Amino acid sequence: MSPLSLIFLIIGIPALAGLIYIFVRGSTGLRRYIVTRIALTLPMILILATLVFFVMRIIPGDPVRSALGPKGSPETVARLRDQLGLDDPLLVQYGRFLGDMARLDFGRALTGGRRPIVDEMSERFPATLELVIPATALALIIGVVGGALAAAHRKRPTDYALRLYSVVIYSIPIFWLGLMLQLLLGVRLGWFPIAGRIDAVVGTTLDRTTNILVIDSAISGNWTALGSALWHLVLPVLTLGLILSGVFVRLTRINVIETLQMDYIAAARARGIRERVVVYGHALKNAMIPVITLIGLQVAILLAGAVLTETVFSWPGMGQYLVQRISARDYTAVQSVITMFAMFVALISLAVDIIYSLVDPRVRY
Amino acid sequence: MRRRLPILAVLLALVLIAAACAETTEDTTTTTTTEAPTATTEAPSDTTTTTEAAGPKTIIIGTTDTIASLDPGDAYAVHDWELIKNTGEGLLGWEPGELTLRTGLAAALPDISDDGLTYTFTLREGIQFADGLELTAPMYAEQLNRLLTIGPDCPNGVANALASPFFESITAPDDATLVFQLSRPVAFVPQLLATATFMPAHPDIFPADECVLFPEAPIYGVGPWYISEYTQAEQTVLEPNPYYTGDLKANVDRIIIRYFSDPQTMALAVQNGEIDVAWRLLGPELVSELEDVSELSVGTIDGGSIRYLILNWAIAPMDDLNVRKAVAAAIDRDELADVVYGGQVNPLYSQVPPGFLGASEIYDDLYASPDVDAALGYLAESGYSADNPVELELWYPPEHYGAATADWMALIEQQLEATGAIDVTLTAQEWSTYVTALTSGEAYAAGVLGWFFDFPDTSNYLEPFVLNGGLGTEVTDADNVPVNDQAQELLDLLDAASVETDLDARAGLYEEAQRVYAELVTTLPLFFEAEHVVYPAYVSMAGDYASPETLAIGPNLEFYYSVLDIDK
Repeated sequence: MSPLSLIFLIIGIPALAGLIYIFVRGSTGLRRYIVTRIALTLPMILILATLVFFVMRIIPGDPVRSALGPKGSPETVARLRDQLGLDDPLLVQYGRFLGDMARLDFGRALTGGRRPIVDEMSERFPATLELVIPATALALIIGVVGGALAAAHRKRPTDYALRLYSVVIYSIPIFWLGLMLQLLLGVRLGWFPIAGRIDAVVGTTLDRTTNILVIDSAISGNWTALGSALWHLVLPVLTLGLILSGVFVRLTRINVIETLQMDYIAAARARGIRERVVVYGHALKNAMIPVITLIGLQVAILLAGAVLTETVFSWPGMGQYLVQRISARDYTAVQSVITMFAMFVALISLAVDIIYSLVDPRVRY
Repeated sequence: MRRRLPILAVLLALVLIAAACAETTEDTTTTTTTEAPTATTEAPSDTTTTTEAAGPKTIIIGTTDTIASLDPGDAYAVHDWELIKNTGEGLLGWEPGELTLRTGLAAALPDISDDGLTYTFTLREGIQFADGLELTAPMYAEQLNRLLTIGPDCPNGVANALASPFFESITAPDDATLVFQLSRPVAFVPQLLATATFMPAHPDIFPADECVLFPEAPIYGVGPWYISEYTQAEQTVLEPNPYYTGDLKANVDRIIIRYFSDPQTMALAVQNGEIDVAWRLLGPELVSELEDVSELSVGTIDGGSIRYLILNWAIAPMDDLNVRKAVAAAIDRDELADVVYGGQVNPLYSQVPPGFLGASEIYDDLYASPDVDAALGYLAESGYSADNPVELELWYPPEHYGAATADWMALIEQQLEATGAIDVTLTAQEWSTYVTALTSGEAYAAGVLGWFFDFPDTSNYLEPFVLNGGLGTEVTDADNVPVNDQAQELLDLLDAASVETDLDARAGLYEEAQRVYAELVTTLPLFFEAEHVVYPAYVSMAGDYASPETLAIGPNLEFYYSVLDIDK
């Protein structure tokens, strides 16, 4: 079983179980909403995949010529184009693409050895997951704690400092931040490795099952590998997480401030409940609802950020793969990766919407 | 019942996950590894495999290259060849650090028939793959015949460039003899046979009827190393071949190649000690920075990667010899090298870079570039002047040859316009569209291209730009009919050189061919890029080889991992 299938199983089965649970326990409105959302997700992915398919063929560039360069004779170019089906009518190519996509096959890459794209994604997607999950967690921790802190100390130095932080961090180019962290914490101080997922030597001792190295090293009891994998995660996660945290700080802050002005908070204060409990126990909980929505919206930005982070840190994930394949004008690979990203974003959005409806009982569908 | 449902769902999920994990314990997909081969009979090699208490001696080499194919019958990229050459060995090879051929699997240099069409080799004794399989001549011949049978249809198509045009058949009359029958006599057969393309592939890994670009590891060859595992875009691990009996025995226990997507990150990694050697492709700017790091040594290899302008005979204004000469005289190569690259590239005054047989500086001799007065004189002969400037559209790909391309193309524009009689329009074009249009010879009058040899021989720097349209120079047509008598003279010289086996005579022919070539101004060589290898003091060479400062990487860019040693 490929790591990709395994990851889908690990994530998909609990998700499916949760969905069944919600479906059975939820209201009729919620059930109808879930069905509608799933029904809408499919055409959304189809439209996006179609757009990518045609746009990739409209923009200048030919994968065969790009790969062969000046040494490719006209005969070689013609033979390869024929082998790759690039001379077929566009609609035939489109039909083939849809057929492959329906089988979750995606076909073969046009360049780089023409391997099955599923195999390539199977190697890359776990690396991206290993990066974006802790980065999201870091962004949320900084964002929620920082936002609540800023709200609790409104118009005081802590508030100003955190607001400044959120603006500055959000405006910094991600590759610049990555490079600065590499130079400072990697080269200058020597605290963290600056590239890759695991130490090259330690990596040879690790049996890969899911290709999420933290999980693989943990389940195989290879603690050296676990330490190395975690150590290698620090700088890329810090880069991506810090960039994303800015928007969470601002959103949490504004929502906590709004919540703190509500009647039930005044009532809580009137009852003599301590301010810390009021802010972090009552106001923050309710202020989190829009933040949950934002997580869904940030997934797309997260993946875009992963593209740059993976390039800077030589992190062999989907983002790095996408950049390489766009340069090579590899239509098949690019449309497959973007479709995969779209599916990922759509599923996360769906999950967030469902969680939203569970967290906020006022939400009715 | 409704309360039990979630519990059941969670239990079901756990059972399925456990089942999935159990199923995958026997199956690894992203990293292909197996146990190291052990010699069942006494391994004749005295390969160093001392495993000290500190662990195996390992050297980590960084690169921004990727693996495109590991099949010798298909691979056609520098890094692929590097891996194949370190895990394999050819009948002939190169002395580390030099452009001198030596015998490899062959017991001696070949017997060549009088008509130059038959090359007969005798294999040396005791050649074994890293799994112990003995290599025989019939087995080798069968593997080489893949080049002539399935090779032309393999994706990267190396056979179309290096095998099919030259070889008619490859046979083995007995267990130790290989006979190459050529379709036409060529003098560079030894150079061809020293390429990775002609190294024996393991018959169980690379079947006769199929190209296998990414076989599962371990991948065994007859060279000093074998690939014990590789993970795409992450790393390739090589371990010593216990049966290797050649001259380049491994000195360390393991080589790990680490892949980087960004040269900047690779530069930081070698500074940070995460890799022991940074090799290909750092780029001139990063090399300048690394030269300032006291702990690191930077070895510079005057490699064969050149940049040049195609000046298309068939399209105005380049159909005018005087315009081509004027451009040749107006361009200041030193300024390009110094201003844009800080001196990290070298001006080039012939299509053949220095170090190759017969290489000259003929463009400097003929055009004394830069010489603006001479340029104006050539233009005046065709009626061009400041009042009637020649209109020149100059094309380039903005990304393919690096971000600096736009800078030096802009500088060329300035240099040409500084004559006052050339009006340049500089236009960028996406790479694949660009290269198709330029090399077809039907669209662009002038544009920039790069070239890197297929095999290190002078012919590979001249013939491609002359024969069959010459990649857009149009000095001949697609059927190789020359445009004029001078072009015919050039063809005759190249033909004579291609069959001349006496080195001095061959060098003389190529010098003359370069002169005629430069008089035609079919291309305008600009500069050649050096390659760089960066390493700390604890990396050294284990033997006495040429070019120690570059870790014995010579002008042919062959990097033999066996010469490396480490004291860390």
